[in-house]
Amino acid sequence: MEAAISINKLSKTYKKTEALKSLSLEIPMGEFFGLLGPNGAGKTTLIKTIVGLARPTSGSILVFGQNIQDYPLKTKAVIGLSPQEQNIDRYFTVRKILEFQGGYFGLRHKERRQKAEELLGKFNLTDKVDEEFWKLSGGMQRRVMIARSLMASPKILILDEPTAGIDVEQRHELWDFLKNLNRDGTTIILTTHYIDEAEYLCERVAIIDAGQIVEMGFPKELIKKHCEQYFLVNGEKKKDLMGLTVDQVQVHQGDLEQVFIKLTGKKLESA
Amino acid sequence: MISFFTLLERELYRFGRLAAQTIAPPFVTTALFIVIFGYSLGQKIGAIAGFPYILFILPGLSGMSIITNSFSNSSSSLYMARMDRSIENILVAPISSFRIVLSFVVGGIVRGLTVGIVTMLTAYIMTDLTIHNIPLALLFVILISTIFSALGVIAALWGNDWEHLAAFSTFILAPLSYLGGTFYSIATLPPLWKKVSLSNPMYYMVDGYRSAILGHSDVSLTIALAFSSGLACITFLCAVFLFKKGYRIIV
Ligand SMILES: Nc1ncnc2c1ncn2[C@@H]1O[C@H](COP(=O)(O)OP(=O)(O)OP(=O)(O)O)[C@@H](O)[C@H]1O
Ligand SMILES: [Mg+2]
Repeated sequence: MEAAISINKLSKTYKKTEALKSLSLEIPMGEFFGLLGPNGAGKTTLIKTIVGLARPTSGSILVFGQNIQDYPLKTKAVIGLSPQEQNIDRYFTVRKILEFQGGYFGLRHKERRQKAEELLGKFNLTDKVDEEFWKLSGGMQRRVMIARSLMASPKILILDEPTAGIDVEQRHELWDFLKNLNRDGTTIILTTHYIDEAEYLCERVAIIDAGQIVEMGFPKELIKKHCEQYFLVNGEKKKDLMGLTVDQVQVHQGDLEQVFIKLTGKKLESA
Repeated sequence: MISFFTLLERELYRFGRLAAQTIAPPFVTTALFIVIFGYSLGQKIGAIAGFPYILFILPGLSGMSIITNSFSNSSSSLYMARMDRSIENILVAPISSFRIVLSFVVGGIVRGLTVGIVTMLTAYIMTDLTIHNIPLALLFVILISTIFSALGVIAALWGNDWEHLAAFSTFILAPLSYLGGTFYSIATLPPLWKKVSLSNPMYYMVDGYRSAILGHSDVSLTIALAFSSGLACITFLCAVFLFKKGYRIIV
């Protein structure tokens, strides 16, 4: 299958910092791909070079087989980005923000309005349409940014820490939304510091450190490869339990997130 | 094309919210100048080139308002967009640098035209000014605003602080405009200052604009027109070039 994004020996050096070191990566069409890594690993830099906000020092990036430097407009047209840091006209209303975004990507007025309505509904922002962006809460602002990245129905969606600051309930709704979006064919690239999020959402993850990919693969495989797996029975490690291995057994104990939702949330009916 | 018009819509939306701030100052400035130089001081200064002093300086006055406004419109818009990073959102959209810069410049032209019309209307009502050639006057307004909107774009890319933009206005725009024949005719200057004035690009624009309004010019209209159009092209292309290079916007 054709790769949505293929990165070949990409390096990026800011004045002193070597943020990316000859990094290569191929993301097939339709994949839900996760980028994990500590602060300063180079995740945002990698994203910035893909969307043309940072210039590669060397190496190349192809989007659906086309070099972003030769076809900047064509490749930008298929990518939606929700950046880590706000880049919004803070004094514009939510409606204007979304509609202008549609316009930048060539949508006509009627299409813009429809798409904006639809997304505002999905992101539970309908009652804030005419509010100026700066008056929204942090989590709502984050959701506006994600909604904005979807205005042009991008083939590739890039989300740089999309769930930072979003409450648990909204986060789960966002997860469902993203899963569906991916199922319908959108290639999604996501960075996150929440490992559970990557594990739940992503087919494949790459772990970046100091500008290089140090590990890449399916979460289950990576866990198997790197983690010692055992049962802990009354404080005692056991490799097998009644002839079963760790893979074959599931223990359901619930987790803190579920408690949180039970105490604070009334699951909204999704629109 | 849709993307360009959306950018323009964004510029005008921004500007629409500042409409009062745009229209009131040139109106007040012009009215004040007319009161001071027309009704009081002007009587003592006497006529220049056969025009009462106030009529002679009106085009220059209007020109200065156009210059300041078109410059501040594009420079503050782009500078703000750099500061709140909304420019990055525009940069990741499929829009060419040419169109992005054009939208900032057209925003500045609209502001320049508004200001030009307000000042001329004020003058028309308060004095016995008749405008010699309206289309030509509008053409000069457009050329002047193009030049200074484009410079505004360049300044906004270059500046790393609001102070830088203010410095650009104070140390470059102001001297050029004051020494650009706004308040005098070069016919009245000693030879050395005549040369200085003639080497000031602003001089040709003001003179052309004056000739469109009053029908009187120091240098030939053709030269003024050619010079202004040439400068408009050059400044605009420089702005596009810098923007395309991603000067201080792409890391
Ligand atoms: N514009 C810039 N100029 C200079 N250095 C930069 C710039 N942007 C990033 N860097 C440096 O590049 C390195 C990688 O930064 P990057 O933002 O890509 O990290 P990240 O993986 O996104 O981290 P985080 O998890 O904190 O978002 C860091 O050392 C950072 O200081
Ligand atoms: Mg980052």
